[in-house]
Amino acid sequence: MPISEEQAMYEPEQRIKLGFVRCWIEMITGIVQSRELIIQLFHRDMLAASKQSLLGIAWTWVSPLIGIASWLFLKHVGVLIPGKSDVPYPLFVLLGTTIWGVFMTVFASAASSLTANGNLIMHAKFSHQVLVAQQVSQASLSVAANILLLAAAFAFFGVSPQWTALFFPLTLVPLLLLGAGIGMIVSVLSVLVRDMTKVMTTLLGVLMFFTPVIYAPDAGNDVLHQLIRWKPLTYLIGGARDLLISGTIRDPQTYAGAVSFAMTVFLLSWRIFFISEQKVAEKA
Amino acid sequence: MGDSCVLTVAGVSKKFCATQPHSMYYGVRDVCCNILGMTADTNRLRPHEFWAVDEVTFTLKQGERLGLLGGNGSGKSTLLRLLAGIYQPDKGRIQVRGRVGALIALGAGFHPLLTGRENIFLNGSLLGMTTREIEQCFDQIVDFAAIGTFLDAPVKTYSSGMYVRLGFAVAIHSRPDLLLIDEVLAVGDSAFQNKCIGKVLELNRNGTAIIFVSHAIQAIERLCRSGLLLQQGTPVFQGEIRDCIQRYSNQLAQENLLDAPQPAPFGLGAVDISNADVFEEGSPSKNRSIPFGKNFVIRFDYDFLQDSSHNTQVRVWIRTQDGRDVQRLTFQESPFNGEQRYGNVKVHRMQRSGTVQITVLSPRLFPQSFRIDVAIVPMDRSIHLGGLANAAVFNIVPPPADDRYFEYGNTTVTDFDYVVAVD
Repeated sequence: MPISEEQAMYEPEQRIKLGFVRCWIEMITGIVQSRELIIQLFHRDMLAASKQSLLGIAWTWVSPLIGIASWLFLKHVGVLIPGKSDVPYPLFVLLGTTIWGVFMTVFASAASSLTANGNLIMHAKFSHQVLVAQQVSQASLSVAANILLLAAAFAFFGVSPQWTALFFPLTLVPLLLLGAGIGMIVSVLSVLVRDMTKVMTTLLGVLMFFTPVIYAPDAGNDVLHQLIRWKPLTYLIGGARDLLISGTIRDPQTYAGAVSFAMTVFLLSWRIFFISEQKVAEKA
Repeated sequence: MGDSCVLTVAGVSKKFCATQPHSMYYGVRDVCCNILGMTADTNRLRPHEFWAVDEVTFTLKQGERLGLLGGNGSGKSTLLRLLAGIYQPDKGRIQVRGRVGALIALGAGFHPLLTGRENIFLNGSLLGMTTREIEQCFDQIVDFAAIGTFLDAPVKTYSSGMYVRLGFAVAIHSRPDLLLIDEVLAVGDSAFQNKCIGKVLELNRNGTAIIFVSHAIQAIERLCRSGLLLQQGTPVFQGEIRDCIQRYSNQLAQENLLDAPQPAPFGLGAVDISNADVFEEGSPSKNRSIPFGKNFVIRFDYDFLQDSSHNTQVRVWIRTQDGRDVQRLTFQESPFNGEQRYGNVKVHRMQRSGTVQITVLSPRLFPQSFRIDVAIVPMDRSIHLGGLANAAVFNIVPPPADDRYFEYGNTTVTDFDYVVAVD
């Protein structure tokens, strides 16, 4: 039997020694070569989620609906004064939380990619980027489900979005990249320090209240305005929402800056993940 | 690497950290180094670190079969994981040509809720097979696993044997050039084990190189031609499999002597048994590692704490380390009913206290570790007046430079003769 073409070499710190260009080539080819495994793992989790479950993927809709109900209640009793908006408040909240949800869902999935698969990592050799890719695709599916819910809500409130709404999914991509980027770094660190994921999830949860998710950017006083002004997330979320409601992005230059920031974070984190995960994966 | 070489391992080492806080600290430090674009210093030990595998070097050609031997914690599984690419080495280099099949945990990645059919595809992809490859050998996998109508049932309903069969079947059909097997053949019934070994040998005939890790020496001997013996991560012997097994057995035997179970008195406590020992006859150093076939002496002191009007019998059991009876040696103070009815009954009068010395002549005990239990029993009642379990431990070792074949682990013994002396 002739020996197969596959070859492998293992050395200490081999990925960091690869050099800039070769490292990127390996990262990308690693993902391309493992596409079938990503599909299989995706398929596994889809099947597993639908078995022995009444609602299956519909669970994605439960949390935003409960969220809206609470915000509505707070607004109704006069505790929450969300500021002006062009659409009914429930729709505004749903839109805000859906967009925020893209960031958080992808972050949480990416952050748990190594620790949730410790058993697999210890028993089989494969590119661990696969786990992040699979988790992100899984999260994207729930994002898609939430977009459907959003479309239904628009129809329910009789609001017709602008034609530019077709580009709405594209505006979610920078949020997805930012979430995945931060998540990848957290996944490496949380293998070493287990409470890292909890710390970051809590911090990001608090961050939501300092970001115009459930209120308009002009709500609140100057302190809040200063706080939200410096966060790229404000512009990424605002941009996506503007595109759907008013058809334009209010401050395109700042938005472009925020998008570049998200992409830089993603690319940097991906590289850091690729270089360092080998060292920590054995502790997962 | 030569043309037919599938694996080259050069000075490979792997370290681990013994304490969790240090492990966390070093991990974070190393990751930070990498984030800043620096390489972490991996080739020296920091406080609380140890080498789990230390400077291992060997090559493996197509069709070769290597057995990894060593006690618990000797680094066999770590080495296997290094070869499989699951762990990253801290020193040295591993080069692999061809596809590696790692039978480290069968059914890795099986999801309990998915059916056998769904899991075959999942597990196959983890082993590096494409969906097309899996489809092509799907029927063979199902045939080999013999899971019948359970193919479309969730694997959580499988028996552990079925689970392992399916995992093995997938792994074996990934057409590996190098197959790493870690203990997994120990699971499953003997029929399936034989089927697996048959399949592994069939792959080997077609050129697959095999590395096999097991504590089952017989299985290693059957599967492998050469062996590598590890002791605390360091390779201590590399060569022909029988030599390697012999070294390993000797090493195990020494460890057994050092780690002997505590003697435990039993019975009524009317007799005290002490200073039990077993050694090679005529050995001035009272060597407890007795060469195969050589006479050995069992000796112990006895002391009747109460006056005994009984006629007594002394019993000595030779047992294997796992407690199986190999032989019982007895002698009596008086023959049955006061008459010498049985020709082979050894009669000795015992004092109130003294020493018993039994010389076992030309014993056919196969090389391994044994222990003895001693008891003094009245002739007319089935109670123990006094006894000592785990009284002494000894080893039978293969004679040096002897090319006789030993079936390790067996204890087949014919009745052997012995001489008793009582002071």
